[in-house]
Amino acid sequence: MPETRNAGITAMKIRTYGRHGKEGFKNLFRNGWMTFAAVSGVAVTLLILGVSLIISVNLQNILTNIESELQFNAYVMDQVPTSQLPAIKHEISSLGGIKQVTLITKEQALSTMKKTLGPNADLLNGLGNPLPNEFVVKADSPKTIPQLASLVSKIKGIQKVQYGASFIPRMLSIFTIVRDTSVIFIIALVIMGMFLISNTIKITIFTRRREIEIMKLVGATDGFIRGPFFVEGTLLGLIGAFIPSVILNQGYYFIQKNVVLFPPFALMPDPIVMNRVLPILYAVGLLIGAWGGIMSMRRYLRV
Amino acid sequence: MIEMQDVWKEYNNGVTALQGVSVRIAQGEFVYVVGPSGAGKSTFIKLMYREERPTKGHIFVGGFNIERLRDRQIPFMRRHVGVIFQDFKLLQKLTVEENVAFAMEVIEASKRLTRKRVKEMLELVGLVDKAKMFPNELSGGEQQRVAVARALVNKPSVIVADEPTGNLDPDNSWQILKLFERVNDRGTTIVMATHNRELVNATRKRVIAIEQGQIARDEERGDYGYED
Repeated sequence: MPETRNAGITAMKIRTYGRHGKEGFKNLFRNGWMTFAAVSGVAVTLLILGVSLIISVNLQNILTNIESELQFNAYVMDQVPTSQLPAIKHEISSLGGIKQVTLITKEQALSTMKKTLGPNADLLNGLGNPLPNEFVVKADSPKTIPQLASLVSKIKGIQKVQYGASFIPRMLSIFTIVRDTSVIFIIALVIMGMFLISNTIKITIFTRRREIEIMKLVGATDGFIRGPFFVEGTLLGLIGAFIPSVILNQGYYFIQKNVVLFPPFALMPDPIVMNRVLPILYAVGLLIGAWGGIMSMRRYLRV
Repeated sequence: MIEMQDVWKEYNNGVTALQGVSVRIAQGEFVYVVGPSGAGKSTFIKLMYREERPTKGHIFVGGFNIERLRDRQIPFMRRHVGVIFQDFKLLQKLTVEENVAFAMEVIEASKRLTRKRVKEMLELVGLVDKAKMFPNELSGGEQQRVAVARALVNKPSVIVADEPTGNLDPDNSWQILKLFERVNDRGTTIVMATHNRELVNATRKRVIAIEQGQIARDEERGDYGYED
């Protein structure tokens, strides 16, 4: 039986990476219209992805803001003497689900109000102090607020309970649903982008099939053949990410400057949002590009 | 050195192309493979550069145990086997010299070595003055010579040709054969499947006839032997 020898498997030379880069880059121009189609497709996909990311980052922010402000005010009847206030405070605290109870005396309330009014503070002169003593109550969970509020209102000496907005708890749960569904939406978009790039390159591959076949016959390794496709896909993905990143950055900057919303609903500042969103956009672009490039030609490697 | 030991090949569609073929071709031999169409000639050739794998049996080519080869080793085996086809398989977008250089680029040879070898090969096949032309500016015979240059540029120990003169007129066929003989004189094994009766009868080399998937005849200095 003849001696057998093992094929030596060597690492790719550095010069070869340069070649792959050049080839991949050339292919972008060789297949001009296809490049255009793939880049626009990816750009649109990533634009939608970017918008949903921006919305979700802001929603997340609003959620945190609101959750930290889950509180309601309980006003004390005027005739209750100051000495009884600690007892009431204790009674409120002893209800379940209460995070914190703070007493704001009528004097404190008055000085805060004067500060708010600023130069118009004179208006209050002669009125004495019309403000009641009040308790600021923070709850553990937004959902329990209405229930806690009604319990507190029944405590003796409490005149009235006021809480920010009854819609907040419901809104919170809507926000959470929106945030969670957007994750599924985003994953679907990413997969779509991958197939987009893969299919675009697949269309151009028809003319390159012969090249691949010949490469295989003269002894090119699969890695060598894949190289330019990998580069091409990656470039498609990155260009596809660059376009929406510019649009989103400019667009969000504009919106954030011009749409004034009050806390807790204020939009987050542009740099903070973009620092979170753009890296994801580029990473996803790179990923779907590289994956699409390699998937597109896998079938033709079997010669 | 090529050796097949009881090689069988059945395709997925149920066609049995080879049935127990055993053959031994020494280094430096020149062998014609003849036989009717569909008898298994192409399969016999394809097994040698591992385009097809045998269903059963052992194949050794230039020291490689072909049927044991893992996929990632195939490229390295193919660098020792030059292949030539009836339809040339040149890249139309590349010039003559680029087509030849392509085979070296692919195996990551240095630029200097590539230039040197490409020049040598074009001299061998007599196409130095057409180095900058594109394949579609050449005659069929010239294109096939480019393909030969490409097959030889990496100094394979075996050249496998599947009907290399199938698309060529008699003059050009002779030129290709002369070229093969020169290459063979340098010690390269040549296995050539052909239907070209004139060439086979005029040169009298070893002839392996394949019929119905079996070796029907294996003669030194044989003739073509068919009437077609």
